[in-house]
Amino acid sequence: MARLEVDSVTKRYGNTVAVDTISFDASPGRILGLLGPNGAGKTSTIRMITYITGPDEGTIRYDGRPVGPWSQQRMGYLPEERGLYKKLKVREQLLYLGELKGLARRIAAERADHWLDRFDAADWAGMDTEELSKGMQQKIQFIATLLHDPSLLIFDEPFSGLDPINSELLRDIILELRDEGRTILFASHRMEQVEQLCDDICLMADGDIVLQGALREIKGRFGRNSIILEFEGNDGFLDDLAAEGAVRIETKSRHRARLHLNDGASARRVLQTALDRTDAVYRFERVEPSMNEIFIEVVGEERARKLRANDPVAAPG
Amino acid sequence: MWHKIWIILRSEYWRRVRTKAFILTTLLLPFGLILLMAAPGALGYFASQSSQTRIAVVDETGALFDRLQQTSGEPFAFTWTDAPRDSVEAAVRAERFDGYLLLPDSLLDGAGQATYVSRQGGGLTTRAQLDNLIDDAVQSERLARQNTPPDVLAILESNPGLATRQLTEEGATADSSLAYIAVGWVMAFLIYIAVLIYGQYVMQGVIEEKSSRVVEIVVSSVRPFELMMGKVLGIGAMGLTQFAVWGVLVLGGTSMLGSAAALLLDPSMLNLPADASEEAMRQAADFALPSLAPSLFIWFVLFFLGGYLLYASLFAAVGSAVEQQQDAQSLVFPLTLPLIIPIVLLFFLLETPNATLSVVTSMIPFFAPVLMVARVAVTDVPFWQVGGAFLLLVSTFVGTIWASGRIYRVGILMYGKKPGVRELLRWMTY
Repeated sequence: MARLEVDSVTKRYGNTVAVDTISFDASPGRILGLLGPNGAGKTSTIRMITYITGPDEGTIRYDGRPVGPWSQQRMGYLPEERGLYKKLKVREQLLYLGELKGLARRIAAERADHWLDRFDAADWAGMDTEELSKGMQQKIQFIATLLHDPSLLIFDEPFSGLDPINSELLRDIILELRDEGRTILFASHRMEQVEQLCDDICLMADGDIVLQGALREIKGRFGRNSIILEFEGNDGFLDDLAAEGAVRIETKSRHRARLHLNDGASARRVLQTALDRTDAVYRFERVEPSMNEIFIEVVGEERARKLRANDPVAAPG
Repeated sequence: MWHKIWIILRSEYWRRVRTKAFILTTLLLPFGLILLMAAPGALGYFASQSSQTRIAVVDETGALFDRLQQTSGEPFAFTWTDAPRDSVEAAVRAERFDGYLLLPDSLLDGAGQATYVSRQGGGLTTRAQLDNLIDDAVQSERLARQNTPPDVLAILESNPGLATRQLTEEGATADSSLAYIAVGWVMAFLIYIAVLIYGQYVMQGVIEEKSSRVVEIVVSSVRPFELMMGKVLGIGAMGLTQFAVWGVLVLGGTSMLGSAAALLLDPSMLNLPADASEEAMRQAADFALPSLAPSLFIWFVLFFLGGYLLYASLFAAVGSAVEQQQDAQSLVFPLTLPLIIPIVLLFFLLETPNATLSVVTSMIPFFAPVLMVARVAVTDVPFWQVGGAFLLLVSTFVGTIWASGRIYRVGILMYGKKPGVRELLRWMTY
């Protein structure tokens, strides 16, 4: 199993820069989450990795060689916007897509039957694809992605449109594929899925990578500087703490608040203030920030930075 | 690369050839076409057979009615009347007659005109037939009054007709320039229709792949160019299959249908006098099925393939740019225009296959598939012209395939706004 290396890659469409000099690696046996808001450049990046389009600058290597038709045979790609040939029968469709990946017809047939079984879909083999429900079609697409036993897998929003039971099945299989030592790229903006699955993340915004590294390490970097507080009584102390610059209030409801502890502020003082000024404190916990918070914070900062850079007059402060 | 193209070709071919729609159109279209061509003739024939036109004749000359009665065949039933005009008209209105014929006295002096008054105004056939009958009747009555000798009458009635012969290299003079024109016309039209229809199939296939979004999965396995070529060649192979089946059906059916068709042809097309017997017509029609040189069929297939490749790749490029069939119309028009122009020129070219305009236009790659085949059918085209036109066609389709491939690879991944021709051309530079 082999590494995927994206090295200083830029992609332009006309005058628009879709991807701006990005670099990252994906390692075998790990799942790399490719995150970012819409229009961040995820799909453009994936299309270059899958050799559907080519970069204007930089190189993408897999197993030490620039990607090309040879690497297409070794990678499986499940696009976000995906479809199948409506008029083809399910099995025939899988054989065709398998053959396009370089499989011999006989082997494609064996694998198709194996996976159809695994997904409880053997009964559909002879059905026209257009007769299947959306979720069923998605299973078939997933099978088509795996049929040629690829060592690099790219899933773009693989769970969208699946019910909880099938999501679970799919998640198990993705983790299984990882444990077999395959390199997996997982693009999504569903942060809870990212937290569950990914070992590494690469956060994109406006064609740039704004944050990357191992998920654990990144969360550690943001520290346990989130505080969950549950209490009874007047919440005026929260505003006072915020006013003196000790915390930033992330969420606040009647008896519950999630606070961000600013640099240099003491968590002990926050707890003391809460004990002094409320009737009771039920819960005081220092936690890691959620991926969602990191996402919003980093993307928000990046946007603000760009705005300042592009338009100094309108920039606040 | 060719292995991938082959896999795609095979799949595209099979999934189309095995459909009921394909099998039915392939088997039934020739019969449908024959019916369609024969229909006007057959309808006219049956119409004139089934119902006679009943005509009241007001004959002021007193001599013409008998002659009309003698010469008229089945289509007309003449009834003599001397009733006043308004009661004749009343009879026509009451549908006892289809119309009435007024033959003034002056007709026999070589002046005046016969008048036919009918409820429906008289169709083209009725009018021509009636006109002939009256001309004949007036002519023979006047000749009879001049005591014309019978041998002079025989001379007047003789109708030698015209036979045409073609002088070829071999010196043989088998006549069939008319049949060759028909063959050239049919072949040119077949290529035109086939390129247009199969081109649309290609476009439709590309649009389906794009709008169902399966294309992104496919191009993560093969190059967009391979996908486009596989589709173009697969549908081309389907077209060849269809032509082969039609060829066999036509060859097999010609012996039977040839003589049947002769019944429905206008005799003048076969250079026969208007009153030629059925027998003579059948003979002429059979004779008119000329021996066609095998090279004609070879050129037909080559130019069909060349034309198909030229246009189909362009249709693929157009299909890649849109998400639904309706959006393609404005982009398809510039493609169909160079296909329609040769059809406009076709009649001129078949009449004068060696005029400068005919030679030049038949060499232009976008017109050559239709026009060069038509020329080869009707005349001896120098080899440098056919060969040259084919070479030009090949180099042009290599060019359009390359250009289409550039557009296609961008188009299939573009969603949203519907592009114009200029945008398509810009994609080539991406």
